Amino acid sequence: MGNPMEKACYMGIDVGSISTNCVVITPEGEVLAEIYMRGEGHPIESVQQCLSRLTAQLPDTYCVKGVCTTGSGRILAGAVVGADVIKNEISAHARATIHLYPDVRTIFEIGGQDSKVTIVRDRAIVDFSMNLLCAAGTGSFLDSQARRLNITIEELSTRAMTSEDPTDIAGRCTVFAESDMIHKQQAGHKQKDIMMGLCHALVRNYLSNVCNGKEIKPPIVLQGGVSANKGICRAFREALQCDILVPPYNMVMGAYGAALIASKSGIEQTKYRGIEASTHVIVTKGFECGDCPNYCEIIEVLDADEVIGRTGGRCGKWEGRTGPREALKGTGPVGPVSETSAGGLTEQDTCRPVENVPDLIQIGVCKKKRP
Amino acid sequence: MTYMAIPNIGNYTIALATAVESLGIKAWASTATTPEALKLGIEAAPESVCLPLKAHLGHFIEADRAGVEYAFMINSVGTCRLRYYRHMIDQILKDLGLKIKIFGLGFDGFKPPIVRHFDPGPITFIKPLFHTVLKIKVIDELEMAAWRTRPIEITHGDTTRVMNKLLVKLSESKTMAETRSLRRRVAGSFADIPVDKEKKPLRVGLVGEISFLRDKCLNKNIEYILGSQGIELKNFFLLGEELENITRIIFLNRSRGKSLSRIADRYLQNSVGGHALDSVANSIHCADAGYDGMIHLCPSGCMPEVSIRPILKRVSKDKDIPILEMSYDEHTCGVGIATRLEAFADVLMERRKSGSAAGRRENARRG
Repeated sequence: MGNPMEKACYMGIDVGSISTNCVVITPEGEVLAEIYMRGEGHPIESVQQCLSRLTAQLPDTYCVKGVCTTGSGRILAGAVVGADVIKNEISAHARATIHLYPDVRTIFEIGGQDSKVTIVRDRAIVDFSMNLLCAAGTGSFLDSQARRLNITIEELSTRAMTSEDPTDIAGRCTVFAESDMIHKQQAGHKQKDIMMGLCHALVRNYLSNVCNGKEIKPPIVLQGGVSANKGICRAFREALQCDILVPPYNMVMGAYGAALIASKSGIEQTKYRGIEASTHVIVTKGFECGDCPNYCEIIEVLDADEVIGRTGGRCGKWEGRTGPREALKGTGPVGPVSETSAGGLTEQDTCRPVENVPDLIQIGVCKKKRP
Repeated sequence: MTYMAIPNIGNYTIALATAVESLGIKAWASTATTPEALKLGIEAAPESVCLPLKAHLGHFIEADRAGVEYAFMINSVGTCRLRYYRHMIDQILKDLGLKIKIFGLGFDGFKPPIVRHFDPGPITFIKPLFHTVLKIKVIDELEMAAWRTRPIEITHGDTTRVMNKLLVKLSESKTMAETRSLRRRVAGSFADIPVDKEKKPLRVGLVGEISFLRDKCLNKNIEYILGSQGIELKNFFLLGEELENITRIIFLNRSRGKSLSRIADRYLQNSVGGHALDSVANSIHCADAGYDGMIHLCPSGCMPEVSIRPILKRVSKDKDIPILEMSYDEHTCGVGIATRLEAFADVLMERRKSGSAAGRRENARRG
């Protein structure tokens, strides 16, 4: 670091429900390296693997000047790599798309468990919506159906494209879609037609649930893991009767957007822990706070014996503080320092001795005991 | 000492606890539903009822376990299902074999059954009620000061700490004189917090179902999350205002409801039930007052709030004010909420930068 010969680059990491992606860009937004890998339920390990595979792809002359994490695992990932900015995935995705397609007006993003629609006008997000109480019509659904038919998700995509007469499948609920699919199989429909029907059902569900009441206007960009599925793209084209753009980095748009955000946020001194972060043994440990009857389950992220971050509290007392646990007990909340509420996990200890005030006040305490 | 469990309605629980003293007994509650209580309620309640019922039910089960003999549940006179919730909770608790006895707010004769049961003397009865009204007013002031200060504080968490400290003092306050002196200190305590006066925070109105507006366990601490992102809030449920409204209905026969329905008349001519009319009218009010955005909190399966969602979308379109719909149930996770709120804050910020209608109104208002 600090070598004037080194060229600056920025890193974006997107830890989603299914995959972990990483993108490194130049300050101008050109992609130097991209990694898409399935998380397999070990967010810390996959982030570390991403980092170590990145060294192989990235020339030595580049030096990371800023890191931004996004996705549902953004806080944990931020602690592991030492993120400068922690940003929500809706803004990150939109940033990347607007960078690549300045005239975009609608962004469809379908990931592993989330599906979102973002409405953009004049390069600014004006509205967005995210699936709320139901995950029917997301990548996980297609994944499990492909597994049930004992084919890979890539195969499902290519086979669906060959269908000429898609079967009608009920798409309101994932479980009922599955029963309907079994029924259609039993009735003798061709597998490729059923698969295309499945894609149609997913798109129908998405358009009626997530896009309900939104103004869908072309140009439309489709991204997220599911956009790799050609059957889905075809179904969208047929349902909306217009062209659907799939960006070149469609699988890693979140990470790309995060990298763009990192490059634009004017970071002076990065908190990036370097490639070494991938070799350390990072573990998490949970404990109960117990300062008030919320009994928050606090998760500590530990590198060897050193605490590098905490998550899980409600009052903001534990977030962003790495001091010893005993010293922090009974102190008041000191909030995050970076720009989002979720941010600042790796901020050095900002603890100061303050009077303990509970987040939740009990009335009639003498009787209230925890069972 | 006899204890009575009362429903948690956020910080106002502190004031209601004082009201219980008028019966010569003590209150048992907390300012937010505990996660433990919520878990108990979810186990015991039918799956499809709304989350506020589960929270109240869990609270009463927890109370029973702690050895509390009596409980009190509010009734609503609207057409919302809340009207039947006391009976429902009563039945569920009986089915579970719990001994706790539930009172409602019913009149069958001169005295409500709850007063008849405990039969306090007139002086014991009246004094705490005045004290309660005073405390409600203090809490209204506290809430409003916190909304204003939190987005511009320099060290995050200062406002929450000052607020919680004052709330603890308020909950310990026994006499009206004590509460009055506390009330005088409120403005000063908040003024002592170092703030960034230059900052112009985004202004967002919070409307929706009252338990969600008030209980930070149910709404996943939305006020704190928004405040620490630099958003100035107005939560449209202030008990003080509601009380004024009720007294106006009783003594002046002029309810705020009438003015609300006047505001909402173009969109909704029916009160629907619950706080649906309030939500519509307040959204319109928000748009006209130059707020940057609105957040509508709605328990999934809440009839009144779900019915007005299309209307709110229309309001949003007509008045050019973004509305974020938040539908909660017990499976809603905090990360999803935080993600939506952060993205919403980004949207509002971009709108303001690009000079939206609300932004222009705001600039005109601030001169």
